[in-house]
Amino acid sequence: MNLPANPNRRDFLKLGALASLGLGLSAAPSAEAKPDPRDLKLLSANDISATRPRPAGNKPVWDLTTKPTEKVRCGFIGLNRGRGHVNSAANIPFAEVVAVCDIVEQRAKGAAENVKKKTGKEPAMYFGDENAWEKLVARDDIDVVYVATPWEWHVPMALKAMEQGKHVFIEVSAAVTVDECWQLVDMSEKTQRHCAIIENCCYGEEELFVLNLARQGFFGDLKHAECAYIHNLAGGVLWALGSEGDWRRDYHRFMDGNLYPTHGLGPVAQYLDIGRGDAFKFVVSVSSPEFNLTQFRDKHQPNKGKHKDEKFVCGDMNTSIIKTQLGRTIMIQHDVVSPRPYSRINALCGTQATFFGYPARLAVDADNKHPILDPKAKHNSHEWTFEKEKLAKFMKENQHPLIKKIGELGKKIGGHGGMDFVMNYRMLDCLRQGITPDMTVYDAADWSAILELSARSVKDGSMPIQCPDFTRGGWKTIKPLGIVS
Amino acid sequence: MSPPEQTHRRDFLKLSALAGLGLAASAEAKPDPAQLKHRAAADMGTPRPRPAGHKPVWDLQTEPQEKIRVGIIGLNRGRAHVASCVATPFVEVVALCDLLDERAQAQAEVVRKKTGRTPAIYSGDENAWEQLVARDDLDVVYVATPWEWHKPMAIRAMELGKHAFLEVNCGLTVDECWDIVDASEKYQRHCPILENCCYGEEELFVLNLQRQGFFGDLKHGECAYIHDQRGKPGASFLDAARDWRRRYSTLLQGNLYPTHGLGTIAQYMGVGRGDAFKFAVSVSSPEFGLTQLRARLKPERDRSRDEKFVNGDMSTTIVKTELGRTIVVQHDNTSPRPYSRINLLSGSLATFAGYPNRLAIDADNASPLLDPKEKRNSHSWSYEGEKLKKFMEANRHPLLTKLLADAKKVGGHGGMDHVMNYRFLDCVRQGITPDMTVYDAASWSALLDLSDRSVRDGSIPVAYPDFTRGGWKTLKPLPIVS
Repeated sequence: MNLPANPNRRDFLKLGALASLGLGLSAAPSAEAKPDPRDLKLLSANDISATRPRPAGNKPVWDLTTKPTEKVRCGFIGLNRGRGHVNSAANIPFAEVVAVCDIVEQRAKGAAENVKKKTGKEPAMYFGDENAWEKLVARDDIDVVYVATPWEWHVPMALKAMEQGKHVFIEVSAAVTVDECWQLVDMSEKTQRHCAIIENCCYGEEELFVLNLARQGFFGDLKHAECAYIHNLAGGVLWALGSEGDWRRDYHRFMDGNLYPTHGLGPVAQYLDIGRGDAFKFVVSVSSPEFNLTQFRDKHQPNKGKHKDEKFVCGDMNTSIIKTQLGRTIMIQHDVVSPRPYSRINALCGTQATFFGYPARLAVDADNKHPILDPKAKHNSHEWTFEKEKLAKFMKENQHPLIKKIGELGKKIGGHGGMDFVMNYRMLDCLRQGITPDMTVYDAADWSAILELSARSVKDGSMPIQCPDFTRGGWKTIKPLGIVS
Repeated sequence: MSPPEQTHRRDFLKLSALAGLGLAASAEAKPDPAQLKHRAAADMGTPRPRPAGHKPVWDLQTEPQEKIRVGIIGLNRGRAHVASCVATPFVEVVALCDLLDERAQAQAEVVRKKTGRTPAIYSGDENAWEQLVARDDLDVVYVATPWEWHKPMAIRAMELGKHAFLEVNCGLTVDECWDIVDASEKYQRHCPILENCCYGEEELFVLNLQRQGFFGDLKHGECAYIHDQRGKPGASFLDAARDWRRRYSTLLQGNLYPTHGLGTIAQYMGVGRGDAFKFAVSVSSPEFGLTQLRARLKPERDRSRDEKFVNGDMSTTIVKTELGRTIVVQHDNTSPRPYSRINLLSGSLATFAGYPNRLAIDADNASPLLDPKEKRNSHSWSYEGEKLKKFMEANRHPLLTKLLADAKKVGGHGGMDHVMNYRFLDCVRQGITPDMTVYDAASWSALLDLSDRSVRDGSIPVAYPDFTRGGWKTLKPLPIVS
């Protein structure tokens, strides 16, 4: 294990003070018990919607700024999903990979090796048992901890990391339950640390293009959006032993709802200024029957029939509709088992234009007088105004500033087509500058909460479930996210 | 008006007896959509008991006939049906009716040119149709009028012994749907919904595949009526001809036009025949489209000046079925986007999506329709573009194989109007039950009222009425008709 490097963190003293309150002095004695997702606290329809009062002394973090820093020191927990983030950080000049952690030793060594190759510096490694991560978050030379572990570990790890003065970047879904979402919000507000959801899909080229257009008023009044996580994992990932299959499939055995809402919802929430001028009001959810996990298991007997007694309750296709405070509607789907190609749908409908993804298409109203359009071009919305090559050209002309700046580099470094890098660069750059990240703990909570809210709705016969307001009224006055660069 | 010809209808006597009860004597008052009776959410799903003496019509057969004599009411939407009828050799257009005399005359001319015979014409006032349905030489009355007229016209036609072919939507409320079901069961006349989209080339292709088990276990469908109908100056949704339709946007808040999408998905899933709609939950977006259209096209606000549009631009409804399947149904006719009915069917072994057409096939799909040597997986679309076209041609529905050439010639929404009309009229000719019955008419149309109710009540799930009164549990799925 490496010794802590000489900290050049400017708010080190403050953090040290927090730590000395006894919160992080010694993580090991109070070792976190392995969380069992079946013990998660699920709320009744009455309680799930309640907006909890802000504990005394806590302060909102939606405009939290921190001291600028020259170098951002990162620790990573969970190196299956986390590999890409380590790789991003190793390629960002102002980031330093200080420590990596995984329960599997060779994963930790593989990530460390990659960092050493790229930067010449070998990070500290923690591995081998389920509580190894507690040593990582107890270090005092880390600014931000990435949490990319199985879902049930997200919240305990994030809480502990914030308690010990670190910002946290949490993989999706940030939390499994609404109760957990409140814990994240409260801890972030208490410790005044960022707890951003690392929703890479918000940094996809198409998504940033749509966001860029939306911010310029191109779509007119926004009315409706659609999004999804449709990704056939039934024949692969969901059965992978020693990896995602072990824990991810488990959720299909006790929850029936949208198990993975944020990839679709994050970008759409940004288009619609959710949490910043608009807010989710309620959600209704309906699930189809379950077929494909069971059928694949019975036909192919993955892992030598080891799973033959598993009973899956999560409907193959879950469809939810969210209504917002401004009356807009969002349709959101989840299907990770059906025989169909990947899609996040990524649709945005306004009075002046409509965008759809998969494949990308843009229809422009005849009356749309936006300055980025050629005023001589006639168009009507009875066919797609821009698609294929024509759309590719228009997208290039109207690229989001972030993509202009680092899109090429992102493609080179990779990670879901480059969007992982663009996201990591941007999030770490926010910490470097000391500004509030584009995605805050309120986004983490709003987007992730749809998991339990949808499951609640399904369980209650598809009743509408009011969404709790994690900003506690803040959404009414918080300004929309600007066009960041 | 030409006098009734000598009838060769075999059940004429029975019908005359009905007519003789004096049912047609009282003129129908003009129906007012503002007076529609909407049930409370808790009552929506409550079935009406079947009145004594009524009998189900899901397997109703009639005497085969050589010629089908047709009357058509409403010649704006009805034009396509006129065109089909005159192109169908065993059909005779006996009478036409429209409020506007010139529309009636023009369609009579079409019939005369094509067949050499001039149909009787009824026009000029709002009750002219009553004379048409009172004739005793008609087998079928087409009803293609503004929505509020559908129910009274269909019921009167059935009362007077005619089958009623009813344009979409059939009933505006759940109670109207029950009224239509009860009339059909009482008078033992067919009342199919004229859902032309069930006879589209793609839809029949999907149905054909589905009936052969190609999709495996069905789990989910998606459909829509997304059609930007705002129009442009001189031909817009604000014009006088659209007054009746625009009015619904000032009165209702749900899916105003559910059947174009829902009909085909219901057929894929065997709804009413082995499965049934269980509940619907609906959410609407804000309204912008019509208000902004008026501000743009009619700044002086003319005839639509006092209208307040309450119907959200985009209505999204999820229907759950008794077998647990889900169906997304959308309605949007005022947004800037291309036409779509979505037409998505998701099963355990394949997925079809329309607009544009795409078909994904599971690696485990062992259907004999597939080349067993071909490797595939569902991570990309197995068939799209030219490759799908070829596969569609190879697996064309028998009805289309028979009718496609004619249909393209006759036209009407790319030919599907003709395929539908031919098929329906042919069912009556053979005396067999049409593919779509009054139960389909009722359950598909009822989504209008159910979605409106759900939206008004904060998007609660609203139980679906069972218009078959339990019949869906034992009715056999519609076979592959030909």
